[in-house]
Amino acid sequence: MSHHLSSQEVSQWMIGERTPQQEQHVRQCPECGAEVARMEAALALFRGSVRHWSDGQSRAEPPAIGSILPARRGSWAQPMRWALVAATLLVLAAVPVYRNVQERQRQAEIARADALLLEKVDAEVSRAVPRPMEPLAKLVSWDFSSTDGRDEKTGNEEIR
Amino acid sequence: MIAAVERSASEIDDLDTLVRLHWPRVFRFALASLRDPDAAGSVAQDCFLRAYRSRQRFRGECSIEAWLMRIAVNLIRDYARNRRLQFWKRAQASAVDLAAVGQRVPDGGASPESGAMAREQLAAVWNAAGDLSERQRTVFLLRFVEDMDLLEIAAATGMKEGTVKVHLFRALQAVRERIGRSQ
Repeated sequence: MSHHLSSQEVSQWMIGERTPQQEQHVRQCPECGAEVARMEAALALFRGSVRHWSDGQSRAEPPAIGSILPARRGSWAQPMRWALVAATLLVLAAVPVYRNVQERQRQAEIARADALLLEKVDAEVSRAVPRPMEPLAKLVSWDFSSTDGRDEKTGNEEIR
Repeated sequence: MIAAVERSASEIDDLDTLVRLHWPRVFRFALASLRDPDAAGSVAQDCFLRAYRSRQRFRGECSIEAWLMRIAVNLIRDYARNRRLQFWKRAQASAVDLAAVGQRVPDGGASPESGAMAREQLAAVWNAAGDLSERQRTVFLLRFVEDMDLLEIAAATGMKEGTVKVHLFRALQAVRERIGRSQ
């Protein structure tokens, strides 16, 4: 390899992509060797400065577990959350059932009222005589044994 | 494989150990991404909480670190998107922190000139990293701060290995360009 490393080749070198010819050239060429060393030194400085900066931070120390898992509330909060969800679902499911029961009760009351009314109507309809004539009807005895109300022997119409 | 998965799952069950072992890395990555210690702390906290809550879904297809980093990457992305304006303001304000960070460059007995040059280079990398796209910055930080290899980065970001390479290459080109300008 006769030519110097290009800018792209130096960057590829830093990634780790290098050919044996390039390695030999960098070993032998002071210019390319210095360029690679300069880049490596700059990156090493950067790494060192980041680590130094990080180590100097108060938050660089691992914190107490309690601050990461606040009061480990999952142990009771999770079941509580599920219980709340279950209660909500139960209420939501109970509303239609309750309404259904109420509706059935209302319909049963209407049916009972209708039945009472019908009974009264039936009672009125089935009277032998109208209510105002009832006292008279009590005075008269009706015999319905003869279907047409005539005397069987004479054939005369008879009123008993 | 099954034993490894069971071991990993039990490691996640032990939240104390999980946090103790992995908090510094997750926090550091969040800090480098967001440049805000409070936001980084919140993201790291949320990361472990989510990991613990979704531990049943961990199948051991990648390392726990990669899995945690994946959660962190998603949280950081969401955080930056939800608070774009505040994030931009903080990024502007972090220029003060950059000056402080630059002062921490070890001189190693080098000359004042080379020390100043190193600080300039460092500031150039910080600024370049801040200007990268979200994906480029993520892969850049995972590779050059967290020392993750390409496959681990792919697992942590959900990208294909080839996509990771492309983003990393573009990030490096941007950083190289910025370093070149600083000289």
